[in-house]
Amino acid sequence: MPTISIYKSDLESLLASDGRAKRPVTIPQLEEWLMLVKGELKEHVAETGELRIELQDSNRPDLWCCEGIARQIRIRQQRKLRAYPFFSATSKKAFRRLNVAPGLERVRPYVAACASTGYRVTEEGLAQLIQTQEKLSEIFGHKRKTVSIGLYRLARIQFPVTYELVKPDAAKFTPLGMETTMTLGEILMVHPKGLEYGHILADHDQLPILRDAIGQPLSFPPIINSREIGEVQVGDDALFVEVTGTDLPMVVLTLNIFAANLADRGAVIDRIDVRYPMKTPFGKQVVTPRDLDITRTIPIQTIEQALGQTIGAQAVKQALEVYGYVVTPSKGTVKAKLPPYRQDLMHPMDVVEDVAISRGYGDFSPVMPAQFTVGGLSKIEQTSDRARELMVGMGFQEIISNILGSPEQYRDAMRLNETLWGEMVEVENVMSLSFSCLRQWMLPSLLRVEAASGRAFYPHRLFEAGDVAIPDRRHELGSRTETVVGAAIAHAAAHFSEIHSCLDILFYHMGKDYTLEPVQHPSFLEGRAGQIVVSGKPLGIIGEVHPEVLERWQIAVPVAAFDVNLSRLVEIH
Amino acid sequence: MDISSLIDSLHPLEIKVLTAFGTNPSGLVLDTDQLAKATNLEASQLSMAIEWLIAKSLLAVDKETITPVVSLTPVGERYHGKEAPIEEVLAAARSAAGTGGRLTIQDLQSQEGLDPSDVSKAVGRLKKEGALLIVQGGCIESTGRPSPTADRLRTLLQQVHEGPRELESFAEPDRQIIQEYAVRRGNAKEPFRVDDRVARSFRVAPAGLAAAEHLVQHDVAAEEVSQLSPEMLKDGSWRAKRFRKYTISLRAPRISTGKRHPYREFLDTVKSKLVSMGFREMRGALVETEFWNMDALFMPQFHPARDIHDVYFVKHPTCATHVAEPFLSRVAQAHRDGGNTGSMGWRYAFDVERAKRLVLRSQGTAVSARTLASGPATPAKYFSIARCFRYDQVDATHATDFFQVEGIVLGDDINFRTLLGLLNLFAREVAQAKDVKFLPAYFPFTEPSVELHVRHPRLGWMELGGAGLFRPEVTLPLGVKVPVIAWGLGLDRMAMVALGIHDIRELFTNNLDMIRTTRGVF
Repeated sequence: MPTISIYKSDLESLLASDGRAKRPVTIPQLEEWLMLVKGELKEHVAETGELRIELQDSNRPDLWCCEGIARQIRIRQQRKLRAYPFFSATSKKAFRRLNVAPGLERVRPYVAACASTGYRVTEEGLAQLIQTQEKLSEIFGHKRKTVSIGLYRLARIQFPVTYELVKPDAAKFTPLGMETTMTLGEILMVHPKGLEYGHILADHDQLPILRDAIGQPLSFPPIINSREIGEVQVGDDALFVEVTGTDLPMVVLTLNIFAANLADRGAVIDRIDVRYPMKTPFGKQVVTPRDLDITRTIPIQTIEQALGQTIGAQAVKQALEVYGYVVTPSKGTVKAKLPPYRQDLMHPMDVVEDVAISRGYGDFSPVMPAQFTVGGLSKIEQTSDRARELMVGMGFQEIISNILGSPEQYRDAMRLNETLWGEMVEVENVMSLSFSCLRQWMLPSLLRVEAASGRAFYPHRLFEAGDVAIPDRRHELGSRTETVVGAAIAHAAAHFSEIHSCLDILFYHMGKDYTLEPVQHPSFLEGRAGQIVVSGKPLGIIGEVHPEVLERWQIAVPVAAFDVNLSRLVEIH
Repeated sequence: MDISSLIDSLHPLEIKVLTAFGTNPSGLVLDTDQLAKATNLEASQLSMAIEWLIAKSLLAVDKETITPVVSLTPVGERYHGKEAPIEEVLAAARSAAGTGGRLTIQDLQSQEGLDPSDVSKAVGRLKKEGALLIVQGGCIESTGRPSPTADRLRTLLQQVHEGPRELESFAEPDRQIIQEYAVRRGNAKEPFRVDDRVARSFRVAPAGLAAAEHLVQHDVAAEEVSQLSPEMLKDGSWRAKRFRKYTISLRAPRISTGKRHPYREFLDTVKSKLVSMGFREMRGALVETEFWNMDALFMPQFHPARDIHDVYFVKHPTCATHVAEPFLSRVAQAHRDGGNTGSMGWRYAFDVERAKRLVLRSQGTAVSARTLASGPATPAKYFSIARCFRYDQVDATHATDFFQVEGIVLGDDINFRTLLGLLNLFAREVAQAKDVKFLPAYFPFTEPSVELHVRHPRLGWMELGGAGLFRPEVTLPLGVKVPVIAWGLGLDRMAMVALGIHDIRELFTNNLDMIRTTRGVF
């Protein structure tokens, strides 16, 4: 979900009908319009006119820019999509050429490009171009892995341009942000962008480069542009835009978005003729920008059924047209074609949502689902609730803890290193050791509260009922999630028989007979710990907490505790 | 105040003291010692009762005599057990004379356990008394003569060690030595302490005397009880007793209680509301495969939310042994080209091994996906309150470990309008909100998707949850042929307001005082 920064005056200019003066937009009006783009206004700085907008739809990269937002709103106001002649294959212009050399199919196979003239870059416009470039390559292009974008000064480039592979030391240029020339290998080792994105090209002994007809490097995709040709400046009125990547439809779509954006700002877009040595999903010759021509034929009935409302073919057609589609109705169906800057049509349901958004969600009156259903809690939740009620009745205060904790607390402080009891589900991509494993029993959660509450009025009686993860090699997931209840008593004279009495009451009212068998458990004092056994099955432990454990937690009073596995208790009949 | 309400207001300690005055033949004045004897009270209780009676003007201080009393300080006890500096200096000088060695003041001052200022004082006194000579080069020589001060000091240390004594009981020369070696401002390291002992006698005031006489006459001290006992009930003797009246406006003593956690109480309320609306509870595992956590929800394997920076991956074992068929194949197909779902699919090479990768459940929707695959009842409503984990930096608004309230509704009457109807119901029942707004939203697994905003009675407009119709790419591969609503409620903010907390971490606080005192309101 990208959040972008745009300017109100820029949005107003882009919203204006061709040749008409712009009209001021009010904030409530804007918020209303943002529903069309699943956008939320996060911040409005009145003095500068800056608007921070969060765009929710990760499948609509065309909306992650001021031009795209304005376009979606404008179509609705003008009731038609502006013509973008450069998308239509019939345009007969003599194209500039971009040649792809062999070998790139193994590294970064695809490229798409266009030229833009007649739009003079303003400071604001440049900031927007760069923001769009960043959002598209970072989020849509997976941090430049699948898609990256380069912008250049068209006048400096001699066509045809070649997209080819070279050895890391066989080409050098001055990259953006540097003063001296560097080889591609040096850029990977030294330049900040080389360090950040170099991993994309790891394992390749030849690297991609774009060079013009006289051998001047344009850029080293997807890492960095040349400073001479690839540093667009305010006042430039002729640009060259290229997109490289690993997925041709995504590469073309990204270029289409850029082309439409520049056109919306008044540029004339010239297509570029890309020639591949191999066959691509769009053939060996791919002229870009290129309409992806995504079309679905959908029965009106499907739309009406999903929306729960009779709408009619004409209204469906109209709703889709004012949302940017090209629609051809026929008997009982509509043929809906996405505009060239979109590709998010996988299923008819995608069109259904656009019909609803275009008509406005307010157009659909809510209806209660009428079918009768029986509610209820799971067996384990009922058991857990019963145990909780009993614990509260015995004077225990309930607590809730994080399940994700640290091995230091769950294992080391419990003296469980190198024991079966100390085995836990641990996280591989640890962010903080404090949140790096799942609790395997309840006692550490209770001690966590006790350790922090030495000043709270005594006696302390604590309990928690909740889930734990117990490693189990035989389980398909490598662990079992089970619900346990743990309780602890802490005060100057807390001892075994006090907690034992509570366990006794708990089992009596849960309707289960249990026995205690002596057990040597490192967390408890030897000779004062017992395994709780029901019908021959161990399902918990009770005892006086070992003084060394208390020391590790810096707890200054004795603690007696139990831990009962309710999931296993429920399974015993 | 009449006499009986005066008597009623008396504390048992006060009654004892007044009774002592009433029964004392020697009259209206008693001193502290006499009172202690007559009442049999401990000094602290007695002084407490006397203070109260003075405050009530039933008693007044008659006379106050101040007697200086000598006692030993910890320094004095040390001198008594060992030697005083003056004795040490004298002994050192004598032993130097015996061996013919030289002894300077500096030597003494650097001797361990001797304070330089004590040494100077001792040397000065001994020289004055003629027990020492100071010769050239700062050397000390013993004259062999005794030191009266050192001798008296030894005797006095012994006498006072046996127990504090009045200063006046010592003869004048001893008194001087004591004064000289007593702690005073600016000099704390002396062996003696002279404190003023205050002895008071008290005169009973007229009102007090009347009360005292009444007390004696009615033998109140004997008949008043504070606690009804089983014996009194058994033999009926309670009838002859007088029950002391309590000051019931005092604060109640604290007790430690058993109760539910306030946040859990909130979640319990949500749980019972959902059950009352016909929802059945689902449970799931904390550790899930990427398959059920994401693949089954039609989130492509390259989706940014599946990144190493968004989800916790399990270290060991890294993968599940298997993912149940036919779901794995059908979901894989839906991702590749849509399969038979009517979709074009995501068009990429679905990795079945990746599907087995174990993660910590990152969304409650994983539980819904499992339920859809388990042959759910139709029509049906389900919910779960599932603990989920996100790879997030923990701060006041982000938790890495949190509850999600989520669920599904399936049935052949499910469509966009019944979805809105259900959300209306949630708004009314869960947030007590009448005004709602439905905003277009995006979730990877629903189409259309809605965000529910409500006007909360206290919070104003807020986002209550998100919902949508599960994409056919989700339901059909799991074997569900009817439309399904997927919904989720974001209740943490409402819970925080209800509980009066401002930091999401406090929902799981380790502060027992806070847990005990936070009122669970909903």
